[in-house]
Amino acid sequence: MPTYTAPLRDMRFVLYDLHGGGRLARLPGCEECTPEVIDAVLAEAARLCEEVLFPLNRAGDEEGCRLADGAVATPKGFREAYRLVREGGWTALACDPAFGGQGLPHAVKVLVDEMMCSANLAFALTPGLSFGAYAALYAHGSEALKARWLPPLVDGRWTGTMCLTEPHCGTDLGLLRTRAVPQGDGSYRVSGTKIFISAGEHDLAENIVHLVLARLPGAPTGVKGISLFLVPKLLVGEDGRPGARNGVSCGAIEHKMGLCASPTCLLNFDGAAGWLVGEPHKGLRAMFAMMNLERLAVGIQGLGLAEAAYRNAAAYARERLQGRAPSGAKCPDKPADPIIVHPDVRRMLLTQRAIVEGGRALAVWTALALDDHARHPDSDRRREAGDLAALLTPVAKALLTDLGFEAANLGMQVFGGHGYIRDHGMEHYVRDARVTQIYEGTNGIQALDLVGRKLPAHGGRLLRGFFHPVAAYLDATAENAVLAEFTRPLAKAFARLQQATAHIARAGLKNPDEAAAAAADYLHLFGLVALAYLWTRMAEIARTKAEDDGFHRAKIGTARFFMDRMLPRTAALSAAILAGGRSVTGFDEGDF
Amino acid sequence: MDDIRRVGVIGAGVMGAGIAAHIANAGVPVLLLDVAAEGTDGRDAVARAAIRTLQKADPAPFMHPDFARLVSPGTVEDDLDRLGRCDWIVEAVPERLEIKRALYRRIERVRRPGSVVSSNTSTLPLAALTEGQSAAFAADFLVTHFFNPPRYMRLLELVGGPDTRPDAAEAVRRFADRRLGKTVVECRDRPGFIANRLGVFWLQCALAEAFALGLEVEEADAVLGKPWGIPKTGVFGLLDLVGIDLVPQVGASLAAALPPGDPFHALPRDMPLIARMVAEGRTGRKGAGGFYRLNRAGGGKVKEAIALATGAYRPGRAPDLDSLAEAGGDLRALLGHPDKGGRYAWRVMGRTLAYAASLVPEVADDPAAVDEAMRLGYNWSEGPFALIDRLGAGWLAERLETEGWPVPPLLGRAAALGGIYREEAGSRRVLGADGGYRDATRPDGVLSLADVKRAGTPVLRNPSAALWDVGDGVACFEFTTKMNTIDPDTLALLGKAVGAVQEGFRALVIHNEGKDFSAGANLGLALFAANIAAWGEIAAMVEQGQRTYRALKYAPFPVVGAPSGLALGGGCEILLHCDAVQAHAETYMGLVECGVGLIPAWGGCTAMLARRAAAGRPQGPMPPVIRAFETIGAAKVAKSAAEARDLGFLGPDDGITMNRDRLLADAKAKALELARDYAPPAITPLTLPGPAGRIALDMAARQLARRGLATAHDLVVAGALAEVLSGGGADHTRPVEEEAVLALERAHFLALIRHPATLARIEHVLETGKPLRN
Repeated sequence: MPTYTAPLRDMRFVLYDLHGGGRLARLPGCEECTPEVIDAVLAEAARLCEEVLFPLNRAGDEEGCRLADGAVATPKGFREAYRLVREGGWTALACDPAFGGQGLPHAVKVLVDEMMCSANLAFALTPGLSFGAYAALYAHGSEALKARWLPPLVDGRWTGTMCLTEPHCGTDLGLLRTRAVPQGDGSYRVSGTKIFISAGEHDLAENIVHLVLARLPGAPTGVKGISLFLVPKLLVGEDGRPGARNGVSCGAIEHKMGLCASPTCLLNFDGAAGWLVGEPHKGLRAMFAMMNLERLAVGIQGLGLAEAAYRNAAAYARERLQGRAPSGAKCPDKPADPIIVHPDVRRMLLTQRAIVEGGRALAVWTALALDDHARHPDSDRRREAGDLAALLTPVAKALLTDLGFEAANLGMQVFGGHGYIRDHGMEHYVRDARVTQIYEGTNGIQALDLVGRKLPAHGGRLLRGFFHPVAAYLDATAENAVLAEFTRPLAKAFARLQQATAHIARAGLKNPDEAAAAAADYLHLFGLVALAYLWTRMAEIARTKAEDDGFHRAKIGTARFFMDRMLPRTAALSAAILAGGRSVTGFDEGDF
Repeated sequence: MDDIRRVGVIGAGVMGAGIAAHIANAGVPVLLLDVAAEGTDGRDAVARAAIRTLQKADPAPFMHPDFARLVSPGTVEDDLDRLGRCDWIVEAVPERLEIKRALYRRIERVRRPGSVVSSNTSTLPLAALTEGQSAAFAADFLVTHFFNPPRYMRLLELVGGPDTRPDAAEAVRRFADRRLGKTVVECRDRPGFIANRLGVFWLQCALAEAFALGLEVEEADAVLGKPWGIPKTGVFGLLDLVGIDLVPQVGASLAAALPPGDPFHALPRDMPLIARMVAEGRTGRKGAGGFYRLNRAGGGKVKEAIALATGAYRPGRAPDLDSLAEAGGDLRALLGHPDKGGRYAWRVMGRTLAYAASLVPEVADDPAAVDEAMRLGYNWSEGPFALIDRLGAGWLAERLETEGWPVPPLLGRAAALGGIYREEAGSRRVLGADGGYRDATRPDGVLSLADVKRAGTPVLRNPSAALWDVGDGVACFEFTTKMNTIDPDTLALLGKAVGAVQEGFRALVIHNEGKDFSAGANLGLALFAANIAAWGEIAAMVEQGQRTYRALKYAPFPVVGAPSGLALGGGCEILLHCDAVQAHAETYMGLVECGVGLIPAWGGCTAMLARRAAAGRPQGPMPPVIRAFETIGAAKVAKSAAEARDLGFLGPDDGITMNRDRLLADAKAKALELARDYAPPAITPLTLPGPAGRIALDMAARQLARRGLATAHDLVVAGALAEVLSGGGADHTRPVEEEAVLALERAHFLALIRHPATLARIEHVLETGKPLRN
């Protein structure tokens, strides 16, 4: 059986030492968010995840969810766990105090989320989606809607969903068919079928608030004719109590590769009562408020699974005795050496570790940008932070899930045959990780968002928030000989990224297919350079720390591994990008 | 007959005054007469007031304030005899036959024999105007129809009668062409001549169909504008400009003059909303709002438009028509689209194009003349016959037949032969009324780069520029980018061109036939490079520009710049490095870098210092520095070639060409003249004041800031400019090499482009077209 211990030490390093998270308390509305408070929150979250959520993970996967008579039963123990999550105030963590939230910043929330994803991703999806629904409603709902629906979402009595996908309509929301007909009393009747709805039906909470994309009568075709509606599972009376059943029913739950303990529902809306959120035909905009948060959250899922897989693989590699080191026996007193003596096993473990710790640094950076964007007193800083968050979000989503899957897969590899069977839980991480590359906008879509939207926006202004700090950092450290082992490869990779960026901007302007053909490689190139920048800074900080219990030594060692063994991937990526798209776009469709 | 040396204009209304101003722009003295005023302001108050209005108008009718002195005011009552000294008398009085005829009889008594008289009428037939006048008068009389505003609209319709002396017409044609810079289109004596005959039909049809199909004004303007290369004012925006009160007037007078079978009669002209708007004084921009207005009520500025159905104003809204979104630039798709936008496009443009085809040969034998008239008189980027070819003459004829509309014979013939225009052996040929193709001709002495390009292949070419052989050992360097911006490819080819010209030519002309000579360096590229911190690339681009422009300046052959339209930033700097400039009169030069938070760094600062020093009096090193600082620091743009002389962008030896079509030929002649015994300029060091001068400039800038005329970032930019222009650490006792000033330009440019406030300015100007004052 796997184990889980929350990586609090590294989280504190990333938040405070790397990103100066101590300044969070200076942001308006975050005054109480001192390091002491944050540490206490993280420690409490760690306890919940280690003791309550993690123990349910394996069994939940085996048992799965069951649908009977339109009701979904979650695996044993989930109801009790959800009660503890709710009572612990975890659903209210980053919500506005005006609606009963605790007002903590995103930078703290992503760390709590990571722990929950490591401990039990299938469970974590439900409160995660509630937060997404909260965010959309909070940003775009009328005051009346917010007053009625937000408090129970915040305190976790009710959960939320996002209903976008339909059987014929996934990535292309312009095709969606669900209809909403006004009733003259301010309400609407919503009819249609939605699929792939996570937590669309369950027994964890007394009510479910669905946010549903649908079309009004006579709406323009395509994405310009989509509106957002709030449709509850149970109608709510004047007293705020859930009562009669609304016209929403769960027709089926999906049989999936992973995340078996999370019900993925087909929902039928049959004239269900709903209320408009935001303006007519502006539903997509309202949805994107939440989608950007969700995209970072999915990146965190990849990160959380990678962390769990790494810790278990490292423990296993230290214990598993098998064969001898290539250079001769390391433990002659034992029947065999532990497999950790093998360079290839170490390569796998260090790859995982570099992904996890670098990814955590990237996730917190993005979250801090969201916090500055929302709260910074200086409007220029708010705009710059918003630019950076917009730029980093697709990178964080796709990079952390692609690398997260790679790390989960390496974890299984370290276990050998024992990773492939279910007993050790390593194949479970692989199965759960796989969908993170697909949902909430496939990673291909993230790459198109990066090159098609974020890159050209405002003459490249969004890029400034990343390129200028890196260039300035390289300037400032150019003479630093001790850091040269990190800054030199960083400078080289950064120059590659600049060249590739300029190339895509030029080529994409003439022919959008060129930019699209380079998109996935470009996102990885960008992401690896971002990790290299963060790793270099982490190594620089670790060097200055006097205390040494191995943590900072390991930090420098992992940084060195990343620079030597992972960053060279940028050479291949940039070569592929500069080669252009002709081999991709020119291939005859009939020859596939 | 002799040249026209003095002109009389009678009627100081909008057209008469504008014509007088433009004749003054040609350096020719003008007598401007109107009726005598009663009152204390003097009898010539009407004409004087008109001149004052001209001096204040925007866009300016005068190319330079000094030209106003060439216009002398007078009255018809007291000063008519002064017309005796005029070679050409232009009548621009109200469009009433009896008024004009009476005036002609009085003119006839005072004018010099052999002088030419012309009317600026737009509606009256020449035959009616000359009826009852003497044979001598009829021989010297013609119609010269200018378009408003006369300085800027390049079309002049010229109509001679059966009795008009050919040399009288020729004298005016020649003067209008060479001195006034007009493209003269000779027309028959038919109602509305060419441009208004078709243009008024188009407007009337567009109005009527917008009501009939229930379009919003924004929709109508969007459908009729951009897809067709028609100005984005479309039809309603255009009517706001010209005055809505003219709609019923012009419609009625045209209807009265046209023969009974003309399709114009079939268009509805009774439009209650128009009548109501005219009655309420809502005549457009000159009145209390038009189809569009800016509502400033409540302190705000809200763009509003009239709902055609109700006549009430509502907030403006962007048109959202499937036909526009789906057709893109495909005109056939637009005309075939089933929505109201598509139906509107067909009902207006289908009919207008068919009408145009039916007008040959009635108004002209040559379709190219009709195209020219619509391009220059209505600012269409292509005339109706070019549009017919774009659609396909066969396609259009078929569609007309399907709809049961008659197919004009010319269109039928074009459909059978494959179009109105065709290219044969590198020359452009056009289908005539006789059913055969003939060469499209250019006036004598016009050299067109388009013709050169059609007939040959470039000496050099890359995606941003090309080098052409324009004959007699002269090469022409052409920018080919959007807005003719200058990018590293442009500079690379220019570098190559210096070598190629040295090998195989005697001289180089820098010229293109775009609307604007050059909008300057490609700022989008620079901004993107700055955003990704590609400082090395930016430094290389600055250095490349300096190196290339210097190579141009010191090349062993003469270089002549021939700009028209905007020549800004790097596009101005290249001209500052030419041996001479032959500028179109409508050239707008400026070093505008400071406006976007930068300084000129392709040698612009250095060149301005050198020019000012060469032109100035020997009063120490400061005067040229101060003048350059004022011109560059305020990002001044000359509003004409004449103004560019004042600002020092053009020198005393640089030439001005009034007619855009003659620019290349003039520039080529200038280049060949320089090539006769050419020696490259000597490299002369500059005497600059150094830190003491910098302090003086800084003080001047701070004073502007105190008066609220300079922003915080203006001061940063002015500081950098002051440092460069004063020569950094220079000392006025030791001359500074150009190279040293160029190095200062580079260093300060590279510092400024890292500044967030500069990047915000560049981004803002690229996204909105307007400057950001941060």
